[in-house]
Amino acid sequence: MSRLDDELRIAFRREQPSTEFTDRVLKQIARQPAPRVRWWRTLAALFQPPKLRWVAIGATAALLVAIGAAQYARLHPTVITDNGKVAETQPPEASGTAGGVKTPDSAPEAPAPKLEPKPHRNIHRLMTVSNRTRNNVRPGDRVVNPEAEAAKEKVMLALYITNTMLSDAQRAISDADKPQR
Amino acid sequence: MVGWEGTIALENRAAVALEDTLERSAQGDQWAFAEIVRQHQGMVFGLACHFLRDRSLAEELSQEVFLNLYQNLRSIKSPAHLTFWLRKVTSHRCIDQARRQKVRPQVSLEDVPEPFTRATENDLLLSELLRRVVDTLTEKARMVVILRYQEDLEPAEIAKVLDMPVNTVKSHLRRSLSILRDKLSRTLGEVTS
Repeated sequence: MSRLDDELRIAFRREQPSTEFTDRVLKQIARQPAPRVRWWRTLAALFQPPKLRWVAIGATAALLVAIGAAQYARLHPTVITDNGKVAETQPPEASGTAGGVKTPDSAPEAPAPKLEPKPHRNIHRLMTVSNRTRNNVRPGDRVVNPEAEAAKEKVMLALYITNTMLSDAQRAISDADKPQR
Repeated sequence: MVGWEGTIALENRAAVALEDTLERSAQGDQWAFAEIVRQHQGMVFGLACHFLRDRSLAEELSQEVFLNLYQNLRSIKSPAHLTFWLRKVTSHRCIDQARRQKVRPQVSLEDVPEPFTRATENDLLLSELLRRVVDTLTEKARMVVILRYQEDLEPAEIAKVLDMPVNTVKSHLRRSLSILRDKLSRTLGEVTS
């Protein structure tokens, strides 16, 4: 490193503009339309390092709650009729039929309703019904699970809380970094 | 935390803060953009001022550079990219401005006056003399010297900023330093390397 290099560094060191330079730039910008933020850029911003951790935590929590709720609903199904009454599902042994096969208790003159599942446009399966209870569902019935509904409510609440926490955290970060005026 | 660990932690925090500032300004936050302007105005204005040798013209050009930045904020990917972008745009605008308006002082190397007194370290006269000798160089050579000594860039980095081969940058630097040494050795014997 020669002395000439040192002298050149001194001669060409950075210089500051006048004090009102920033204000003038901001005034000019204020006259211009703000740059439009596209939704996919906002989405992409969530996957950048500072936010990614919170997004990952929230998504994992939501996923775990959703899987738990789905599992619960699969194991505890109920049937609800079209008039809104909830019919607890019964095991096939108690209903008198098992898999569409007539039991000895059934009256011979009263033929058992055809329970074979066939495609029908009025059947709405809201939850998966296990094979054990499928034969109790009649066409037109809506299969709903109150516990599943409750679990769904919990999922929604959990998502809401996660969202609130993330918003608070983001606001706190933004406030901390905001220039002091 | 003390020592280098503390320094690294502070640098990391500053980098994260700068990334956040950049992100917020890309989303239209004008306070964040003002922060970016404050942090980089010394670099942009310095380049323009040393190159154009006119403070008001340099401020005008710097203002245009920051307005251009505001319009292109979405294309800036990181703080390092921001610095590179600002250096590149400022350099090219300065060269264009000089070519368009013939801002370059019409003095030849021989016309640069000798200093009256023997210059010492940090002498303002010596700095002024160096700047005037650099003024006599071609636009690209001048910008190469300014980027090398104001921004402390390596020839490879200067080549990227000015879109020119590294060897051209090196030859510009070699020739410019040789001219500077020749000029200064006549007045300051000790300045030669």
